[in-house]
Amino acid sequence: CVDTLDDYNIDPKRPSSVPATSLVSNAELSLTRTLVSPSVNLNPFRLYVQHWAETTYYDESIYDIRTRNINGGFWTAIYRDVLRDLKEAKAIITADGTLDPAVKANQLASIEVLEVYAWTTLVDVFGNVPYSQALDFNNPQPKYDDAKTIYTDLFARLNAAIAKFDPTAEGLGSADLIYDGDVAEFAKFANSLKLRMALTISDDDAATAKTQAEATRGKTIASNSENADLAFQTSNPNTNPLFEQLVQSGRNDFVAANTFVTVLNNLSDPRATQFFKLKNGAIRGGVYGASNNYASFSAPGVNQEDPTHPGVLLSYAQVEFLLAEAVERGFNVGGTAKSHYDAGVTASIQQWGGSATDAAAYLLKPAVNYLTATGNYKQKIGTQAWIALYDQPVDGYREYRRLDYPALVKPAQALSNIPRRFFYPVVEQNLNTANNSAAATAIGGDNVDTRIFWDKF
Amino acid sequence: QNRQISGRVTDRSTGQGLPGVTVLVKGTTIGVSTNSDGTYTISAPATATTLSFTSIGFVAVERTIGDASTIDIGLATDSKQLGEVIVTAQNVERTRNSLPYSATQVEGDNITKARNPNFINGLSGKVAGVQIRQSNTLGGSTNVLIRGTKSLFGNNQPLFVVDGVPISNANTNSADQQTGRGGYDYGNAAADINPDDIASTTILKGAAATALYGERAANGVILITTKKGRKGLGVTINLGATAGRIDKKTFIKYQNEYGAGYGRYYEDASGFFLSRDINGDGVDDLVTPLSEDASYGARFDPNLRVYQWDSFDPTSPTYKQATPWVAAENGPESFFKTAFTLNNSISIDGGNDNGYFKLGYNNIRDKGVLENSEVNKNIVNFAGSLNLTPKLTTTAAINYTRVDGKGRYGTGYGDGNVMTNFRQWWQTNVDLKQQKAAFERTGRNATWNYSDPSDLSPIYWNNPYWVRYKNYETDQRNRFFGNVAATYKVTDWFNILGRVTADSYDEIQEERNAVGSVGLSSYDRYNRTSREYNYDLIGNFSKNVTDNFSIKGLIGANLRRQYISTISAGTNGGLVVPDLYSLSNSASDPLPPNENEQKIAVDGIFASATLGFREMLFLDLTARRDKSTTLPSKNNTFVYPSVAAGFVFSELMKDVSWLSYGKIRANYAEVGQGASALAVNDIYSKISTFNGNPLFSVPSTKNNPDLKPERTKSAEGGLEMNFLSNRVGFDFTVYQQNTVNQIIPVTLSTATGYSNRFVNSGEVRNRGIELTAFVTPVKTADFSWTLNANWTRNRNEVLSLYQDVQNIVLATYQGGVSSNATVGEPFGSIRGSNYVYKDGQKVVSATTGYYQQSATSNEVIGNPNPDWTGGVSNTLNYKGLALYFLVDIRQGGDIFSLDRYYGLATGMTPETAGLNDLGNPSRNTIANGGGVILPGVLADGTPNTRRVSNTNYGLYGYLRNPAAGFVYDASFVKLREVSLTYSLPTSITSKLGGVKGIDFSVVGRNLWIISKNLPDADPEDALSSGNLGQGYSSGSFPAVRTFGGNIRLSF
Repeated sequence: CVDTLDDYNIDPKRPSSVPATSLVSNAELSLTRTLVSPSVNLNPFRLYVQHWAETTYYDESIYDIRTRNINGGFWTAIYRDVLRDLKEAKAIITADGTLDPAVKANQLASIEVLEVYAWTTLVDVFGNVPYSQALDFNNPQPKYDDAKTIYTDLFARLNAAIAKFDPTAEGLGSADLIYDGDVAEFAKFANSLKLRMALTISDDDAATAKTQAEATRGKTIASNSENADLAFQTSNPNTNPLFEQLVQSGRNDFVAANTFVTVLNNLSDPRATQFFKLKNGAIRGGVYGASNNYASFSAPGVNQEDPTHPGVLLSYAQVEFLLAEAVERGFNVGGTAKSHYDAGVTASIQQWGGSATDAAAYLLKPAVNYLTATGNYKQKIGTQAWIALYDQPVDGYREYRRLDYPALVKPAQALSNIPRRFFYPVVEQNLNTANNSAAATAIGGDNVDTRIFWDKF
Repeated sequence: QNRQISGRVTDRSTGQGLPGVTVLVKGTTIGVSTNSDGTYTISAPATATTLSFTSIGFVAVERTIGDASTIDIGLATDSKQLGEVIVTAQNVERTRNSLPYSATQVEGDNITKARNPNFINGLSGKVAGVQIRQSNTLGGSTNVLIRGTKSLFGNNQPLFVVDGVPISNANTNSADQQTGRGGYDYGNAAADINPDDIASTTILKGAAATALYGERAANGVILITTKKGRKGLGVTINLGATAGRIDKKTFIKYQNEYGAGYGRYYEDASGFFLSRDINGDGVDDLVTPLSEDASYGARFDPNLRVYQWDSFDPTSPTYKQATPWVAAENGPESFFKTAFTLNNSISIDGGNDNGYFKLGYNNIRDKGVLENSEVNKNIVNFAGSLNLTPKLTTTAAINYTRVDGKGRYGTGYGDGNVMTNFRQWWQTNVDLKQQKAAFERTGRNATWNYSDPSDLSPIYWNNPYWVRYKNYETDQRNRFFGNVAATYKVTDWFNILGRVTADSYDEIQEERNAVGSVGLSSYDRYNRTSREYNYDLIGNFSKNVTDNFSIKGLIGANLRRQYISTISAGTNGGLVVPDLYSLSNSASDPLPPNENEQKIAVDGIFASATLGFREMLFLDLTARRDKSTTLPSKNNTFVYPSVAAGFVFSELMKDVSWLSYGKIRANYAEVGQGASALAVNDIYSKISTFNGNPLFSVPSTKNNPDLKPERTKSAEGGLEMNFLSNRVGFDFTVYQQNTVNQIIPVTLSTATGYSNRFVNSGEVRNRGIELTAFVTPVKTADFSWTLNANWTRNRNEVLSLYQDVQNIVLATYQGGVSSNATVGEPFGSIRGSNYVYKDGQKVVSATTGYYQQSATSNEVIGNPNPDWTGGVSNTLNYKGLALYFLVDIRQGGDIFSLDRYYGLATGMTPETAGLNDLGNPSRNTIANGGGVILPGVLADGTPNTRRVSNTNYGLYGYLRNPAAGFVYDASFVKLREVSLTYSLPTSITSKLGGVKGIDFSVVGRNLWIISKNLPDADPEDALSSGNLGQGYSSGSFPAVRTFGGNIRLSF
């Protein structure tokens, strides 16, 4: 009878315990896929920064977020598919009494860094989000925390994690899909993230930015080989989402945007032919925010059709642009603005297969040369970072909002201004009503015109 | 002087002789009963003019004697007879008189009247309180709701029981399929029953009627009693064929002024065409924008020559030729074929005093309105009974069903469903006959929707014929169900039944996307095994304690064991060898298959007692205790009671001549329910491996080790009255059911790290009114007319959810709309973006000229629940001729149409073209007098005067209108069933050696949609059965009007 059938409640096909590192692998993969996906259901940021234009259906280019619930998709991907798995891994590792303490420390520190990365991604896109009460099923209605307060806590967590890394011991091992368990490189990734966070808040809190940025001196990613990236595999489901959307879908949804192409062509940018395919002997951009005939314009380049094309979380070029800016802001990080800027441009060109010679020639162009290029440091660095972050749409979108360069114009058919953030997912209004509306009030209105706390200008 | 009159009385529905019929000389007390074969001989006085024939359960008939010495007569069953025996829970047979709750019995004949191959559809419109929603796909599923939606996330379909065997009505359609994201509707499993084997169906609605069935009975029970063998040997043969054509009122109508394109931004000077040198003369030619699946292109002009899709295929008669730019002669409506169904059955039965047997076979070959679609059903059933001793009777029944499907219709949104294509994304210049010729000529995917003249791969849509002939699914289900039982009569008032029942089936579904199709080629297979065993031991007692007082009841135990195992696997990265559908033909290594296995065991004990007083007062008491493995062991036992009372007040009013019958009844019951399997303990989900590293994830649903049983509380009251010798009557029921402590995978903010968590929470209330009435306005010896009507009004309200959550999203759909459970609203309310209104007028933005839309897509824009449903049937009998027709009505409820949402945006329907207020083509540029002023007001209330362009896609569709613009009233009035039957008189059949009866029928189903408000579609068409997809329509299939004929021969 029923009393003897307790095992009917045990799922015979699914485990009740798993290796903690397998959860970390999954979180890294989910995070990277979310960041680099061009899916119109998840990540429209290549459009928002006007690197790409859409062909027939241009709904996302005119900032229709609601119809496809893009904000909800992004929110869920980070909370449920990244942060929840990381939290679980942390709990299992912490409870594991048999693990070598140094290895344990490295694993926990690595997870902490990934968590901080994921949290900044959420905050930078939404502003205030559930944080201190999040990831707890016993609290189905978590309150939203102030974005700036979250950043403060993230700095503390990141610093604590950085202090724990011990390169002489093992870390996550091969389960770390980004650095294959290289603890020293993971620590550089952590410091680079800290540098990125410092510069992100620098318009809002210059003092903290300075302190945090200066602490990373000499500890950040120092070459393209140290980039935080995840090399995808040749076959599904481990391919780069770009391959899935551009090749496997059989669709022709995206071409270069005229905004981007104009800049690339004006600079005769050596990366242009890597970014895009030639169309009738030239790089041609479709009109951003309107319908385009696919056959008339340049499609994304061949490298993006490679299923193993890596997904980048943080690049060396990015670090150098951050350092250039840090120098301009008077932070003591070593080097000059120009040296870092040049290194950033060079790293980016090399990242896209160019040579040092190509980079040197490019840097001599008056419009590129840091000494002669137009505008203040925000414009100069902003423009080159915008180009260099072509393959990092979430970073590109942040840097564009923060540096306000290049000066993008919303398309004629736009449903709103260029979004400064995503509004909150509709399910939050339903399931977390009071906290959601309090958050909306706190940030000054839940709409795309509200700025994240660091977006001062 | 007396004269002898003799003859034979038969059951008109079967042709079998009827024993025990009272034959009376009218106006006298002279009477006889018919013999076991239905024959009689009566000695009537010379003055006698009329004979009357009466039998319980049959319509009484009077016949003039005249000069006849032989009078044969066929009696029709009468479901209104009070002595009618109703089969109730646990197969207890009771007189209608004694029932203290609502139970509706529908005779088998009534279900099969229109020869519907799916008996569930044959119940539509016939029973108050039962809402049946059918799909227009071939072999598609039927949603059955009794007294409304009770469970927020769980199963709301009733339990089907065949002769005591609970049978699975599982629906294996995926959540994606049910929410309109593509896939096939594989139907539901209760359709595996031979309709011609059904003697009667009892629909038990409230918990008082169903409580003995235990936890699965909370949604009502459909109790099927199959035919039993009768004395002597009988053979019945049904030969039937029907043909169906689509109802054009339920298919899209196209504008015929403009062809392919999304606007004017292509390559030639006009902007409407590509500009390429196709014929090699060095001059660029006009080419259709092939990749564009919309009709916002160039105005048709027969003088304009354009290279279209057919000019790129070397085998095409128009290869490298430009053709006139005109609307297609053969549009998508020409894609539909005539559906054809053969429905044949034979049953043989026989018996004597020691037992009976029956053997039935039913073959249904069903070909749909789409090419290459066929569902075949073969059903064999056998039952036998033997009285081993006067005290011991053994019975056995076994049914074998095999269903073979090939080419079921793709549903919802996607390239597998040609309706999505025809209704949402289409070029009005594409001729279907040419598409067909191209496919047949080349055997390739010669689609109208190539990526580019230089890249002849399909971009969004395949050639529709390719879809049907290359990307077809196949499926098969092999199923046995049946029981063996022994009944031992301990005394004349007590017997014991022991029974073992089994329902066991295996099915396979295989889906294909051929090499050369849109998207990756693929092969997916899904195997499912389902087993259910029940072990029953039931003691029945029935005793008249005194003349006035009777007691009847049972005590029993039931052990239920269920096992379901599924495995699904597919190719990865495409297929290597075309047309080879095996996992090993995968381009990349296939991923490990997805396996699921679940077991459920429930032990129940139950008892019931019915106390009767003078056939006038009845009191029913039941109690059941279940113990379920689906709950944590600390909470796995639950007990629930019912109490019901009936009072036949007409027994006290026998002197009131106009009142034939009157009964008042009331009851209260509770039913407990366990959880779904594997909802208690936490597990991890396996994602796959990455470069040799395993990937595991925390699942999106959090299980709960503290679950408790959920409970449905039901109260019901009713009044039945018949008047004027039972010529008029009604049955009125009011009910309320509250389902509390629901076990639901409540939706969580994903900021918790989960999408759902199993909890006990929430309360849903259904309350309603059911009214059934009949009247026989005319009843003579030769002619009778009976009208039956039923009317149901159910009001559903979500009373509470989880903690202080006010709204839970049940499902999200394409188009930014969702189904919701909101506190204070009916289940399933549709939310999406809305218009902004001022004083009842839509507000238009002064700066853009387009409608303003609500800030969020969280506004309630529709309620899918009908205000009421009803059915009216008429039966007219004239001698051997019977005409029957049924009108099925649904009033109210809303439906969102994704077909309109996109189809209006892509410029396919007439309202997107034509003339504007200035008398110019609206699709002209504004500078050229075109454009449209959207009706509405500005924010200040003044009329909108701003003209907006209609040159590019979107103005009338999704891009420029909120979701609310595509919500329609889902009411309909349908002529559901018509049948005209002629029974050859026995005077003829008796001469045909051995023939007992011959009936000819002409039948029709869904012949006429008398009224509806949803444009271009059937508001009833459903994606699937179940809670999802209610009030949502995408890739909708047209209704099919079916005509046919049937011959029934009885020997």
